[in-house]
Amino acid sequence: MRRTLSAVAAGLAATLVIAGCSGRDLESSNETEGGSGEQVTLKVAFWGDMGLDKLKADYEKAHPNVKIVLNTGEFNAQHEDLQKKLVAGTGAPDISAVDEGFIVQFRNQSDKFVNLLDKGAGEFESKYLDWKWKASMSADGKQIGLGTDVGGLAMCYRSDLFKAAGLPTDREQVSKLWTNWDQFIEVGKQYVAKTGKKFVDSGTNMFNPVLAQQPVGFYDDQEQLQMNGGPKVAFDVSMKAIDAGISANLASFQPNWNQGFKKDQFAVLACPAWMLGHIQETAPDQKGKWDIAAIPGGGGNWGGSWWTVPSQGKNIDAATDFVKWMVQPEQQIEVFKTVGNLPSQPDLYKDPAVLDYKKEFMSNAPTGQIFAATAANLKPQYLGKKNGPTRVAVENVITRVQQGGLKSDAAWAEAVKQAEKVAKTGKA
Amino acid sequence: MSLTELRPASHRPAPPPKKVKTRSWLYRFDNKTIPYVFISPFFILFGIFGVFPLVFNGIVAVRNWRLDDPTLTGWAGFANFERLLSDEDFWNALGNTFGIFILSTVPQLLLALIIANLLNRKLRGNTFWRIGILLPYLTPVVASTLVFAIFFARDNGMANWFLSLVGFGEETPLDWRAQKWSAWIAIATMVNWKWIGYNALLYLSAMQAIPKDVYEAAAVDGAGAWRQLWRITVPMIQPVVVFTVILSTIGGLQLFNEPMMFDENPQSASGGSAHQFQTIAQLIYKVGWKDLDLGYAAAMSWALFLIILIVAGVNTLLTRRIGGDR
Repeated sequence: MRRTLSAVAAGLAATLVIAGCSGRDLESSNETEGGSGEQVTLKVAFWGDMGLDKLKADYEKAHPNVKIVLNTGEFNAQHEDLQKKLVAGTGAPDISAVDEGFIVQFRNQSDKFVNLLDKGAGEFESKYLDWKWKASMSADGKQIGLGTDVGGLAMCYRSDLFKAAGLPTDREQVSKLWTNWDQFIEVGKQYVAKTGKKFVDSGTNMFNPVLAQQPVGFYDDQEQLQMNGGPKVAFDVSMKAIDAGISANLASFQPNWNQGFKKDQFAVLACPAWMLGHIQETAPDQKGKWDIAAIPGGGGNWGGSWWTVPSQGKNIDAATDFVKWMVQPEQQIEVFKTVGNLPSQPDLYKDPAVLDYKKEFMSNAPTGQIFAATAANLKPQYLGKKNGPTRVAVENVITRVQQGGLKSDAAWAEAVKQAEKVAKTGKA
Repeated sequence: MSLTELRPASHRPAPPPKKVKTRSWLYRFDNKTIPYVFISPFFILFGIFGVFPLVFNGIVAVRNWRLDDPTLTGWAGFANFERLLSDEDFWNALGNTFGIFILSTVPQLLLALIIANLLNRKLRGNTFWRIGILLPYLTPVVASTLVFAIFFARDNGMANWFLSLVGFGEETPLDWRAQKWSAWIAIATMVNWKWIGYNALLYLSAMQAIPKDVYEAAAVDGAGAWRQLWRITVPMIQPVVVFTVILSTIGGLQLFNEPMMFDENPQSASGGSAHQFQTIAQLIYKVGWKDLDLGYAAAMSWALFLIILIVAGVNTLLTRRIGGDR
């Protein structure tokens, strides 16, 4: 902000705007409306579309005294907002979704969340993928969240563009084209030579899935940076892809990337289950043009989230009840069908409702089978405390190579340097 | 009630003592205290929202305060400030901030001066022009920056389209965010676009107050328009120039929105893939909310505060020299 006078005026205007959309107007709805028992309003914060609209309606019907307010926002902003409200000690939502990239950060502040084990969530442990259950446990054994979805990994591709480039379009055959990443890059070269268009969206979206497939990510379970293991493998693949000229070099999830969908700037996209909702949202008119094949290099996990209950809330019990209800099989399957998020409870992978499900948007691909298979045989990866910032630092180096500011053979040394810098900060 | 009432001069005989004590007490209260009551709201608010955060920020700056490591607490002394001195990110951000600041403030104020001078003549549709130049200032900065971010896009960006008209970068379009110089120019353009009109109006209002006969006398002496501008107008509106320089300095050194929204990935707050255009305000935000190191971020804000004080002081002195009698 710049000039004092205008700053004051703008500040006033801003407070009005913020007050208008901060949900403050929602807090006044706590009067009883002839319902039974105490009226409670639960605010749920998440990002994108987590398929909650129907769940909300069902739950409110069954519990007339509960009103649920959904607040969706931008992925990073929601996490930051939660962090700020936890520090402030007030203003956090009753229930907040937390992504795998942030769960470690919040797990280390377990005193600010309700320990769900105290609320009888311990009985769910056996239902969950073991690593999913552990990832939201604090060091002193408090459970701050209940898992919703896991990412799994597959490769989405545009069958119409593949056809135009003379490549096979059938799922099975496409999967056979690339059993490993080198083959994948070769296919990309063929595609580029044939069409003059780029094949993948960005080097970072090559790096992330390959990293997710490695047994050890940036950090080992001793919180030591391990750049020469998994990150090196993933980095080399992304460099190779950039040097081969198959990358459109778009920054993922940003406006240009969204444009890239519409302008056919890339033909494949590494697809965790939650990416399906993203494609649907960004390019609704490409229904039936996308399809799903296996990802080179086997299964892995990229992303997935948990429901947490910040302990500063007024309605902790009601919030916990709702979270417990949301992670029940029926609701998880409901969400899977609406947006495609894959549940994190292995029993559901055998459930016919999941196994027989075909996603119309993705050319009727059997998403249930595809993702259940990747999730069932994946080797979970430990994500360190500083996983998020480290990933950003390395992604930035990849971006610099894409922008031409850095040669690919010098890039690895730079990536190590930047990652070590992140790892070193704040070590007392 | 009147606050301007003069107190009786001392050599006059004192008025007879009032019979009713309370009346005079009330009267004195009315005269002495009420003014303070009237101005107090600002100071109370300023105390809560200005002074307190400043002081508290100072306390945080000399403590360890990491959100991701709640066990690490206690006094850090000046450790955070020592870290600053050897932190290349901080110096890089400082360089970016000053680079963008110079690229945006100097042309901005010069252009504002020239535009104000043009508007100071008899023009048709005077009000229209005057309102018109203020429009960019009324645009919400986030909205305008988003438009600029698309304008300066690598693929299908309008800026690159203009460049291609003059035969530049048809093969490999310029990636505005990739290099320091291009990113700085793009961000400075956004800042200039927003503030030129605002400053021009400030200058214009000051120019309106300059008596016309001064110009007439100068014209008789054979001074041209350019010379009149620098020898009469600028010295005459010098206080306003100083004012705009100070405000531009404060604003320019606190630049946050533009580089933030210009980034391909605004949420990382990294100001480009190699921090090409990361400003100090951005770095503070990143250290505080991305790296969760509030103590260090607070130390940075104090450093920024001191830097602004120094630079604003230097700029004021320099501006005072300009247009002084030589």
